[in-house]
Amino acid sequence: MNCWRDFKEGNWNKNIDVSDFIKKNYTPYIGGSEFLCGTTERTDRVLARVEELLVKENENGGVLSVDPDNVSSLLTFKPGYVIKEDDIIVGLQTDEPLKRAVNPFAGYRNAVQACKAYGYEIGENVKDEFKYRTTHNTGVFRVYTDTMKKARHVGVLTGLPDAYARGRIIGDYRRIALYGMDYLIEQRKLDKKRISERDMSAETIQLLEDVERQLEFMAQLVEMAAEYGCDISRPAENAREAVQWLYFGYLGAVKEQNGAANSIGRISAFIDIYIRRDIEEGTLDEKGAQELIDDLVLKMRLVRHLRTPEYNELFAGDPVWVTCSLAGMGEDGRPMVTKTCFRFLQTLYNLGPSAEPNITVLWSEGLPEEFKKFCAKVSIDTDSIQYENDDVMRKDFGDDYAIACCVSAMKTGKQMQFFGARCNLAKVLLMALNGGRDEVYGEQVAPSGKAFDEGTPLVYEEVLEAFKTYAAWMAKLYVNTMNVIHYMHDRYAYERLMMALHDVEPERLMAFGISGLSVLADSLSAIKYAKVTPVKDERGLIVDFKTEGDFPKYGNDDDRADEIAKWITEFFYSELCKTKTYRGAKHTLSILTITSNVVYGKKTGSTPDGRQAGEPFAPGANPMHGRDSEGALASLNSVAKICYDCCQDGISNTFSITPETLGTDEDDRVKKLVAVLDGYFAQSAHHLNVNVLNRQKLIDAMNDPTLYPSLTIRVSGYAVNFNKLTRDKQLEVISRTFHEKM
Amino acid sequence: MKGYFHSFESLATLDGEGIRYGVFMQGCPLRCVYCHNPDTWEKGGTEFSPEELVKKISRYKPYFGKDGGITFSGGEPLLQAEFIGETVPYLKDAEINYAIDTSGEVHLSDDVKYVLQNAQLVILDLKFWDDESYKKYTGMGISKVIDTLEFLVKIKKRTWVRTVVVPGINDSEDIIRNYIEVLKNKRCVEKYELLGFHTMGFLKYENMEIKNPMKDTKPLKKEHLKELQEFVDNELKKP
Repeated sequence: MNCWRDFKEGNWNKNIDVSDFIKKNYTPYIGGSEFLCGTTERTDRVLARVEELLVKENENGGVLSVDPDNVSSLLTFKPGYVIKEDDIIVGLQTDEPLKRAVNPFAGYRNAVQACKAYGYEIGENVKDEFKYRTTHNTGVFRVYTDTMKKARHVGVLTGLPDAYARGRIIGDYRRIALYGMDYLIEQRKLDKKRISERDMSAETIQLLEDVERQLEFMAQLVEMAAEYGCDISRPAENAREAVQWLYFGYLGAVKEQNGAANSIGRISAFIDIYIRRDIEEGTLDEKGAQELIDDLVLKMRLVRHLRTPEYNELFAGDPVWVTCSLAGMGEDGRPMVTKTCFRFLQTLYNLGPSAEPNITVLWSEGLPEEFKKFCAKVSIDTDSIQYENDDVMRKDFGDDYAIACCVSAMKTGKQMQFFGARCNLAKVLLMALNGGRDEVYGEQVAPSGKAFDEGTPLVYEEVLEAFKTYAAWMAKLYVNTMNVIHYMHDRYAYERLMMALHDVEPERLMAFGISGLSVLADSLSAIKYAKVTPVKDERGLIVDFKTEGDFPKYGNDDDRADEIAKWITEFFYSELCKTKTYRGAKHTLSILTITSNVVYGKKTGSTPDGRQAGEPFAPGANPMHGRDSEGALASLNSVAKICYDCCQDGISNTFSITPETLGTDEDDRVKKLVAVLDGYFAQSAHHLNVNVLNRQKLIDAMNDPTLYPSLTIRVSGYAVNFNKLTRDKQLEVISRTFHEKM
Repeated sequence: MKGYFHSFESLATLDGEGIRYGVFMQGCPLRCVYCHNPDTWEKGGTEFSPEELVKKISRYKPYFGKDGGITFSGGEPLLQAEFIGETVPYLKDAEINYAIDTSGEVHLSDDVKYVLQNAQLVILDLKFWDDESYKKYTGMGISKVIDTLEFLVKIKKRTWVRTVVVPGINDSEDIIRNYIEVLKNKRCVEKYELLGFHTMGFLKYENMEIKNPMKDTKPLKKEHLKELQEFVDNELKKP
């Protein structure tokens, strides 16, 4: 059968160009959600089995089972199924659903500890093999300088991918479906031939070795698919095959790599083209189409990596970040919304709300109204969607980028990222005040400088100068640390399959990160506008501050504080750019902490903004909770001022609201949420997590206010920030707001 | 001149149409027994000039769309009608509409009339049903409220009327019928909405260390509110 029958031809027929294929062949959909279907009996059966397994996994302390003898890779496990006769899309990481394999390539000791944490001993064969094998982790520590180790130890650089895989790389899995592996392998061999003509510099040699490693895994992927009875050496012939081929690529990637984020990319318009063709040919109906997407999403929800408890503390909730980017606009002005975007959203009803896949809507002013409304409805019902500003990203990344992890954009198959965790800038301020010593451990981490005096109020200009000096030093150390990490990762834990699904010489981004932005901004504001006097302990370290008087706080749409936050990001980014990166990567920066804001807070002493030692930071670019006095939109406006141009790896913001606050009924809430999103993104803001909270969430917020900052409770004419209430009052609000349901 | 403000709420979604920016003004002539904002009674508060205020509000224009805008509430915003009147041209220049959330307990001065005339929507709190009940629970009579309502009828101003239903005071169909009588044939009234008494303002009484006359009253049950609202909706449909 002709796999490309009825497809419009274009550049994609001459070169590997999936984006061109999509644009020539996709059909925008501007209608509403009324065409969508519920689950089939088959889906119900598979879902019931998955739910049963998830309960068991949960009862078993979060890990269902581990195979400690078998290293995770493409061909190390026999095929696995949820229900063999019922699976439409096949393939699991191991031979059983939710069974985890060990993956020691990035860090052997980590793998051993992760096994131990769940009551397993790593297999003898694995021990033997890794006795003679250098892991990424070993490589990094061979080269780390004493200062790098110290910065890591005190937690000013945290979450570095030096003991697990770096993740954040998205293979262009669509290529497998469109072209088939034979063609991709053939093309990569031609690439190799072409590169071989060059002089053998270190760069060329490295690239040639990379390509050879890619070819090896491309062949393994074909074999892996064959074990499931599929011939992916040829292109996909229909929608089921297109989804299956694409998923095999993703599956191979998560078998090979245990990176923090394993995102699937931007696949909805691509799949939609195949579904449409099948429906027109009469071989598929809407029920069948939804069933296909439901089954793919179920598989994404089953992806697991074996982690250590320390890792889970940093990234709570066992995340994989199977980020799936939907919608956005084409550069030709047509929305890239298709019926399959709706079908992906529909999985949140058919299969229930879920954190995975991490459904990310690329929002644009130009998206069809009906789609916007459906997104808002799904957000309100499930809290499971995040939004990112396509109008801002499209300018830099075109219209075939995808989001990795939470907020990292990259051109699919054309850019890759060196993930760089984050630097705790609040700690850098304290280090500057203490003349380079760490405020918790007392160690001299940075070069020795003049410490500020006890009992004398801090002078803003002097503090700023000291901060700049230490932040510049920090930026240099940070880039160099990242260079070490990624050199070693390429060498010892290279992503053979994912990189095979990129152009042979992709652009590289090196993604740095900031944590503690709001704490630092408020601290500098306090020093500038109030009176802040340092307090020292017996070691002569500044460990506390006496802050007198009021000061403007980030999160109130007050330029005095917001400009400081904006300046911090611009300044730090410009400092990072001064140090050369490994493999000529482009420096990028994110303001994103995921759930690690709690851990960063734990490792940071008291700050001049009045935050006590150990208290959590606000997540991402969020203002500190309880400091906004003018409500949610003021807070959004403050965050919107942070400039995307210097934070191209994303500016994360979390927005939480109760349904009662958002509007009177569902229609009203939907309209208002759309207005909030339109208003926020019209100001060139980048990202928004939306929580329309139910009762359980309020209880969680009561126990940990950082989870849901700026949570407003409102009943006609009266508004209050939930986090500002005493516990008793919070309980009262909880019982009142959810009176009917109790 | 300067206006006096209690606080601002950038996401007020329930006081008018679309996304509202809530402007809570300081000062109120009433002392309602069930008041949940006793901290807005006395004069004082933060000062803003009309220009400063509109500059602040304009930052929220991207959210307003075609329905949204600002809502002057309080306190009693019409106590500062002269200030709002001076602000109106600035709002018009900025193409921002406004709603007025008022008790109606004001003298119908030229300023008040001007402010009401130019509002997109007026939200009128009909607190009680006759002079006696008004005096008993708010300290002021009903006549000014009726004058305000008549004025809104006369100028055909889109009006939403709201009443807080307090257990033990006005939570029966018989009493609510009295309110409906007041509103019958007032053709400017688009909507009559009952709000349930809640206790979330109690904290303010504690913080201000003033007597809370309702401290033993429980919040109105949601089901009861729903029943009363259905009753109201049916009654108002009758010719």
